[in-house]
Amino acid sequence: MAEMVKLFVNGQEVEVESGKNLIDALKVVGIEIPHFCYHPALGADGNCRMCLVGIEDGRPPIVPACKTPVQAGMKVLLDAEHIKKIQHDVLEFELINHPIDCPVCDQAGECSLQDYYMKYSLDDSRMRVDQVAKAKRMDFGCGVVHDQERCVLCARCVRFTRQITKTGELGIVNRTDAARVTIFPGRPLNNRYALNIVDLCPVGAMTSQDFRFRQRVWFLKKDASICHGCSRGCNIYIDHHREKYKDDIIYRFRPRTNLLVNGYFICDAGRLSYKEENENRQVTSLIEGRQAPFDETIAAIRQKLDQARKPLILISPDCSLEQMWAVRRVSTLYGASLSGFSDAYVKAGDGDDFLINDDKAANRRGLELLGIKTDRKSFIEALQKTDLFVNFNNDLHFSGVDEEIDALLGTVQSIAVCSHQRDVFKTASIILPIASYSEYGGTIINQDYVLQAFAKAVVKNEAGKDMLEVTRLLGGAVIDARHAWPGIRKSVACLADVDPAAIPAEGIKLQTGEDANVGA
Amino acid sequence: MSIKVRVVERKGRTFLEQLYLVEVVKGMTVTLGHFFRNLLDNSRLYVRHYPEVKPEISPRWRGRHRLTRHEDGSVKCVACFMCQTNCPSNCIMIEAGERFDGRSEKMPVKFDIDLLECIYCGYCVEACPMDAIRMDTGIFSVTSNSRESLLIGLEQLMETPGGFSEVDYHKGGG
Repeated sequence: MAEMVKLFVNGQEVEVESGKNLIDALKVVGIEIPHFCYHPALGADGNCRMCLVGIEDGRPPIVPACKTPVQAGMKVLLDAEHIKKIQHDVLEFELINHPIDCPVCDQAGECSLQDYYMKYSLDDSRMRVDQVAKAKRMDFGCGVVHDQERCVLCARCVRFTRQITKTGELGIVNRTDAARVTIFPGRPLNNRYALNIVDLCPVGAMTSQDFRFRQRVWFLKKDASICHGCSRGCNIYIDHHREKYKDDIIYRFRPRTNLLVNGYFICDAGRLSYKEENENRQVTSLIEGRQAPFDETIAAIRQKLDQARKPLILISPDCSLEQMWAVRRVSTLYGASLSGFSDAYVKAGDGDDFLINDDKAANRRGLELLGIKTDRKSFIEALQKTDLFVNFNNDLHFSGVDEEIDALLGTVQSIAVCSHQRDVFKTASIILPIASYSEYGGTIINQDYVLQAFAKAVVKNEAGKDMLEVTRLLGGAVIDARHAWPGIRKSVACLADVDPAAIPAEGIKLQTGEDANVGA
Repeated sequence: MSIKVRVVERKGRTFLEQLYLVEVVKGMTVTLGHFFRNLLDNSRLYVRHYPEVKPEISPRWRGRHRLTRHEDGSVKCVACFMCQTNCPSNCIMIEAGERFDGRSEKMPVKFDIDLLECIYCGYCVEACPMDAIRMDTGIFSVTSNSRESLLIGLEQLMETPGGFSEVDYHKGGG
């Protein structure tokens, strides 16, 4: 824990962490200082002047909170008349040329300018001259749409491209009321994190082409979850909504701050991966291409597993720990060999040094800790010997067709327990639909051995069953996610002390030794 | 706390009223008066010949909705969802899209109102910043043989003309 210091805000004593600036430190204790340009990931710029606060007996007496570190005994004034006037006047200044088109602005409802206006100003405009017209609906590339009229010139976007992506596509040109954010001619945004600009923008100047006009933000239900796009395990918010007479669908993913894993951002590919959760889903159970009730399909799978001489179960590296454990238990129940072979999920060279990883599997460390083999050799050997292949949602064609494995698969009978309609599952004689990660809760371990929990977010009209429930119906002993844990704790040393209900929001960094990787 | 008690004088306690007979005759006089009046001249009926004769309704009447248009025929609605947000019965379902006619950036591509769910409260009209949705069609009887036909869409809402003149509408009825 960092050192705590005591200071006074509006005469009241508060205790905050030292080493932070006033905005961050006071936010922790629930005191909000209005600001546009400051963002913890981008540092203090001090250009918006919205966060000016008074320091009693201070020299100077008025300072920008974003650039002022907390000091013991500091007397901060937030509700003094002269500070209120500053906030009020800065807002009036920002609104001089603002189009105030909140009804058609996507940011409305999560807009700093709108919120601060309601809180600190509420005045009519005093301007009697025409507003400065600037460009609207500018395509900045990478799905970012810019509206220069709404911009408050906080330069968060500019600093993002300079400091975080280090690509520097954006800049502010001209001065005073002619100043505007723009790209260089013929050089649009070109980086894999560009859509973070849309979140960073405190107003509606940056909107996402993908989300633009699709839904008003106040209708969206915002649930915390974890992106399953790669082994980083970035923390996200799933913004979803069920329209009347329709199904619950996801409208967007947004980054959720977790300094242990992803910081403040997520990549564009992960952000747009919400589409996968909406589209192409397997919703019906099929036996030999015929639509069959769920119970009948389960019974058919049980029968096949009972009859099989040496079944082979393949599990997806995206499954939660609990699901992996449950499938492992089922495999021992039926005397099946179990594999987590998923070389296809690795796209070598795709990763970078920021957030994107080569490995697109969300929980490969889980397979590793549970002692499930993932190597190609053992999988092919098992496939050669088997007479029944049960695939638990593992997309073997993730990086294209694998001819050697496909040739072997053609010779055995296969069953697919899958969340999506994919080529690799088409050849299965029995197909059973299950829930995808936005529709169940569980825990996963990212590549850096950070154990994170996520909860169910989306509830579909025709909700697919959790894979855990499927294993229970197949005769497995694991009733639900909680009941998987005594077994997991016993078999994985580094998870021995973990209480799944008490995993903190930022996750737990697991201590893994050599012996911890050996399964029981 | 004391309860306020007000003594109300009870009527109908006089002797003649207690007899009932006089009152019965009085009542029957009215009834028979109507009977003979209708019998002698049918056109002097006290009831309205609905549905042949429609009632006159005030411009303030909250009838079936319509979407208003600009002079050039384009829809005034900018798909801001204020009506949908304000709707207590969740009967408005909008889908928005890009607009390129220079009036706004946004317009509705779908605008459905489920008339069976609507409670005709008029909150949508009050919420609208564009005066784009109104309930001034004068249509007070929304009936149909099928549920589906009562989910009306953008075209139907835009086609329906207003039932009153602009002046009367803004005056709010005399």
